Amino acid sequence: MDDDMSSIDDLFDEFDSEVQRKKETSGGETPADAAAPPRPPAPETEPASETAQDAPATETEYMGQAGLQVTGQARLEAAFGSGEGDESASAQVAQGAPSATGGTIFHQIYRPWRGELNPRWMRNWAILRHHIYGLFSKGHRPYPLMTKLVIFGVFISSLADLGFMALGSITGAEEIERMFGISRGNLYGHVLAFWFRNACSYPIVTALIIGGIISEDRQHGTSALYFSRPINRRDYAMMKFLSVGIILGVIIIFSLCMYYLGGILVNGEGWSYLIDTSGMFLAALAAAFLLVFTYTSIGLALSSVSQGKFFPAVAFLGIILGTKLVAFLISTLFDRSAIYLISPYDNLAHVGQWMIGVNHTYDHPAVWSLVMLLVMNAISLYVLSARVSSLEVTRE
Amino acid sequence: MGDEIIIETDKLTKNYGPHVALDAISINIKSGATGLLGPNGAGKSTLIKTLLGLIQITSGDGKVLGYDVRTQGDLIRQRIGYMPEYDCLTPGLEAIHQVRYCGELIGMNPEVAMQRAHEVLEYVGLRDQRYREISTFSTGMMQATKLACGIIHDPELVICDEPTNGLDQSARKFMLDTLFQVVKQGGRSILMSSHLMDDVERICDRILMIHEGRVIAQGRIDDLKAIDREIEISVWGGASRMEQVLSDSGLKPRRSGRVMRVVRVDDSTYDLILECAVKAEVQVRKMEDYEPSLEDLFIVIMERLGYGVKTSADLLKQTPKGRDIAPANRSLTGGEA
Repeated sequence: MDDDMSSIDDLFDEFDSEVQRKKETSGGETPADAAAPPRPPAPETEPASETAQDAPATETEYMGQAGLQVTGQARLEAAFGSGEGDESASAQVAQGAPSATGGTIFHQIYRPWRGELNPRWMRNWAILRHHIYGLFSKGHRPYPLMTKLVIFGVFISSLADLGFMALGSITGAEEIERMFGISRGNLYGHVLAFWFRNACSYPIVTALIIGGIISEDRQHGTSALYFSRPINRRDYAMMKFLSVGIILGVIIIFSLCMYYLGGILVNGEGWSYLIDTSGMFLAALAAAFLLVFTYTSIGLALSSVSQGKFFPAVAFLGIILGTKLVAFLISTLFDRSAIYLISPYDNLAHVGQWMIGVNHTYDHPAVWSLVMLLVMNAISLYVLSARVSSLEVTRE
Repeated sequence: MGDEIIIETDKLTKNYGPHVALDAISINIKSGATGLLGPNGAGKSTLIKTLLGLIQITSGDGKVLGYDVRTQGDLIRQRIGYMPEYDCLTPGLEAIHQVRYCGELIGMNPEVAMQRAHEVLEYVGLRDQRYREISTFSTGMMQATKLACGIIHDPELVICDEPTNGLDQSARKFMLDTLFQVVKQGGRSILMSSHLMDDVERICDRILMIHEGRVIAQGRIDDLKAIDREIEISVWGGASRMEQVLSDSGLKPRRSGRVMRVVRVDDSTYDLILECAVKAEVQVRKMEDYEPSLEDLFIVIMERLGYGVKTSADLLKQTPKGRDIAPANRSLTGGEA
């Protein structure tokens, strides 16, 4: 045998390699394979966790088609269109975009809060501040502009006697100084005399303030915001009362104090003058407190029984001015001053005259007026209390 | 979350003179979202006021977040957020100041309340409307502001009274999503009173249903739905005959045209229905377990109480006085309360 001559085994080896090459290129099965006995399965070399993408293409199937890798490409293309031609496409781009620096994407994230809550007095202070600061700044109880202007105007006018006294002192005009200087009559006059300022301006200011202070809570349902929080009805009513009282107090009581203090400073009076006049000043101060308390209690009672600001305001003016007018008309007919007991203003004036020590302009005893005043306040506070108790959280 | 009992009452009774508003109510509400359902005049508002510690109860006991409703109302209201059904906002105020003021009424410092007001208004979707006057707000924005007022202090429990009242579809969806986030993301609890069953079903996993001052159902919605499981069949070729045969076989069918629902007694009910179909010589073209909605549950319960109602709206929109009322002494409780 020639050694160079290939053996029959070599020929079979070449045939086998050719068949193998064809199988690799075509991926099909040759007749020889079909005739050959089944081979033992090849040992598993890949881990069990092999992904579809890593597996040989011939072992994968997607939607009935063999040989495709499950890449999600088809779904991606169905959703966003084919990527073919994308490289050569041109898009219209907003030229201003690179200069944009703002913009927020809304993410609804619930942020917890772990702070400490303040005690009762702080909550009450919030109510008080809400109603008083509303006269000066935004973000608190919204008062109409006209209300603010009227209050400012009446406050300025309540300082008028101080101004006149200063004017008399500066100019040396004794007539003016005597007319507006500190005296029982002038202290009474500052608070209760039947002048336009006392008889009309103060009731008008009160009517404007109390108009909606409780009634609007009923009208707008804001009472629910108070009583669904740890605010009890007594605190609510007290803070409302105090709010109105402080505003009226600034106009009536503060101006009285300024008038008295101004009288001492302008005239350069000493301690003896202070001691001599402090009694009547304190009496005037007490009368002023009584006036503020009575107006506030009547006003809040009216506000608590209504929805809206018009009725309480008109009703308050009606009670203060109307009763006085009726009493005046009847008293002229029968020549009896006792009919003035129906008028809160006259009761206040009578008690004020008694406290300050000026001449009485009423025939009946001052105690009657005082009792009537107490009765009026008691009724008002009862109505206020009852109506505030009826304010609802859920529905009216 | 889900196991802690936040509201529990024991034979809680509230009388207004001769009228019994709450009649010995015993409830246990766990943390999470709970729907409060019932017709007008059922006692929902009285229950809410009682839980807020605002009214003195006649007898019984009640605790909210561990505090006694009789004596610790202030503490309860400090830890609860309440969103009223009706308007409760000051028209002339800007939203930010309204929410801040609500925070101050709870007891927050003004500065802290202002900071928190910004956060919660952003959360309820009013970030860009914070400085707008409330009088210019739409209904949806007002509802969102009310919710912001209720959650400014991050309360453990938010009581919402008809939170989707008057809202359009998109605003309603946003409100419900927001409430859902309060529960799921914030881990807070919600007691939601609503007439809309879909809203309750979407947010809440539990309900408390009251009627004439009594609890008629409470518990997990899924458990309560299982009380009356039904099989829905669609037949062809003699529906009335089929209905008769089903009734003769001791089943309880309800029929609307060719569609019937049969109360499922046990697994043998399916076979029995098919046997009935053979007897009645009708085709059964569809047979499946009926998945009841909350409205179905409500109607079933009301039927048990003797009301002939077709939808919940029939009953919820009017006070059921004057109807033929059967003794309402039966209550349902589904699973854990």
